[in-house]
Amino acid sequence: MTNNGSYAIDLHRVEKTYRGKVRALRGIEMQVHRGEIFGLLGPNGAGKSTLVKIMMTVVRANRATGTILGRPIGHKPTLGRVGYLPEHHRMPPYLTGHQVLDFYAALAGVPRSERRPRARRLLGLVGMEEWADKKLGSYSKGMLQRLGLAQTLMNDPDLVVLDEPTDGVDPVGRRDIRDVLLELRGEGKTVFLNSHLLSELEMVCDRVAILVQGVVAQQGTMHELTAESERYEVAIAGAPPAWVAGDEKLRADAGPNDTTTLIAPRSDAEALQPVLDRLRRESRTILSVKPVRETLEDLFMRAVTDPETGRPHAPGAARNGGSS
Amino acid sequence: MRVFGAMLVDAYRELNSKRLFWVILGLSAFVTIVYGSIGFDDDGMSMFFGLVNIDNPMLSRDSLISSVLYRSIFTTFMIGLWLAWVATILALISTATIFPDFIAGGSIDMVLSKPVRRPTLFAMKYVVSLLFVLLQVTIFCLGVFLCMGLRLGDWEWKVFAAIPIVTVFFSYLYSISVLVGVWTRSALTALLVTMLVWFSLFSVNMAEGVLYQERTKLVIRTEESDRLLDSLDQRLEALPNNDAAAPVRARVEAEQETALAQRTSVQDTIDQLDDWYRPIKWMQAVMPKTGETIGLLDRWLARDTDVNLMDIMAGTVEIDASTGDFETRDTSADRESLRRRLEEDAEKSLWYIVGTSLVFEAVLLLAAGLIFVRRDY
Repeated sequence: MTNNGSYAIDLHRVEKTYRGKVRALRGIEMQVHRGEIFGLLGPNGAGKSTLVKIMMTVVRANRATGTILGRPIGHKPTLGRVGYLPEHHRMPPYLTGHQVLDFYAALAGVPRSERRPRARRLLGLVGMEEWADKKLGSYSKGMLQRLGLAQTLMNDPDLVVLDEPTDGVDPVGRRDIRDVLLELRGEGKTVFLNSHLLSELEMVCDRVAILVQGVVAQQGTMHELTAESERYEVAIAGAPPAWVAGDEKLRADAGPNDTTTLIAPRSDAEALQPVLDRLRRESRTILSVKPVRETLEDLFMRAVTDPETGRPHAPGAARNGGSS
Repeated sequence: MRVFGAMLVDAYRELNSKRLFWVILGLSAFVTIVYGSIGFDDDGMSMFFGLVNIDNPMLSRDSLISSVLYRSIFTTFMIGLWLAWVATILALISTATIFPDFIAGGSIDMVLSKPVRRPTLFAMKYVVSLLFVLLQVTIFCLGVFLCMGLRLGDWEWKVFAAIPIVTVFFSYLYSISVLVGVWTRSALTALLVTMLVWFSLFSVNMAEGVLYQERTKLVIRTEESDRLLDSLDQRLEALPNNDAAAPVRARVEAEQETALAQRTSVQDTIDQLDDWYRPIKWMQAVMPKTGETIGLLDRWLARDTDVNLMDIMAGTVEIDASTGDFETRDTSADRESLRRRLEEDAEKSLWYIVGTSLVFEAVLLLAAGLIFVRRDY
């Protein structure tokens, strides 16, 4: 087990099998650096929520080694430095927004003297000051998410774990939540984000991991994960030049309206110049030159596709004895 | 302590939001007002603030009977009937949702992710859940205390003993609700099972009560037979041993034989009853003693007299001319059986009544706690 101080989360061999021999997690290896926004992706039933719940001691792993904020997984006092917003959370509807923050902060061990001013500040941060004294029964889903986010920050955590934080939130709210996450990163806090919204993650995450059927299929920075897919696409008018066929590094795809797209699968701009020079010499019309890299969605789809069938893996966790 | 404080305040807010809490409190207030409407003056007793008057010097303001009656109405009807039955059923309905809601998905995650150990959370949640009954009974007792003081000049602090007694009594039943609620996550199932167990307890207690009464009446008959046999023995010993006394001796011996046969027959019936009575007593011993726990209040509030509410209601109370004390003229086997029951109950220790019940409760809570602590949510 590595206990590297630079990791906010350092997980090794995390395994969980539910009753009915449903293997939700099959040996997770995952590292989250301090001060980064980390995104966890995966199709339905991949084990994302189970992993988050194990970190938060809501679910007990069959096997898990590693640390959270430098302490072993399951170390309760450490949770005082963690803020958590579960998916489909349910906060007491008979409490007001302010009372909710006060209650959960008290459970997290925040002294009374700090709770009131902090609640006021956080309600302002998530745009809920005017609803502070209204009962949760009158809140919309988006408002509950905003309040839930404020709740995670009441103990001034070093690590914030958010499970689908933008679920049910309108576009304005999503942007606000994104801004809060970036602000948290600016303050040096670590954010662990579990979301289905790939575009959201792509905008804020420094690193991501893709979970497929209980194992980490890919993990790294966006740059690392998409490096292989980086390429230049040169659109030219007319048919592909004959010399392209003899160049192993070039590929030509027919485009619409009698155009051709030449694909140079590398990120090195210098290497592209001879190709452009030759096209100029041959008086070919260059319509566009653009650097291209995979989106997170492309990456995700690639990770969740079964290479044998070319189709996405069936949703759900693996059964015992299933593919590994 | 900070966590417990937060959970206590949360429990109060949850109660505050429950309509049933206020309904029960309102009904309790109504019952207390009716109780307060009973008054005593020099001529006797009045009800509903003087609407109904019962002129009887035995029920005058300074009479022992008035005091016994007023206390007995509190212990028998207000505690025994209202708090221990009606209010408890309503309280069980109201609190059955507490644990299933607490462990519901999305709700429990928020709590378990805090730096509080699961056993601590469970224990705290259980304790603060009893706040419902604690608050209700405290307010109720305060009202009764004022009524007794203002109506009889009897400022009886022991009335407040009802607070721990009723709370502990409720906790026996609530532990069943908690176990089933945590196990099945269903408030409805928890409520139904609790009511079923409570009904079973009631049935066992009823069966024991009936068997006890019948058995005691038979024991009284054997005691009468023994006395008769003793007197026949003495008559036989007193008879001269000659021919003149022979017919009398033969008659006495025949009576002795009949009495002995009757005694043997009664003893056989007792032995047959014991085949049922003993297992029921054993069952009672390990089960929570709901009725006896509530009965503790009677014991602690009782005045130093043999007269009880039943005697007053049956009109069998009279004044002993020689001592001036009140006594009952009911000398039936039923009355004797009841007297022996009260005497036996009075001898039962607090450990037996509350201690064994708390052991039962602890076992159930331990099982519920284990499920709570070991479960994946």
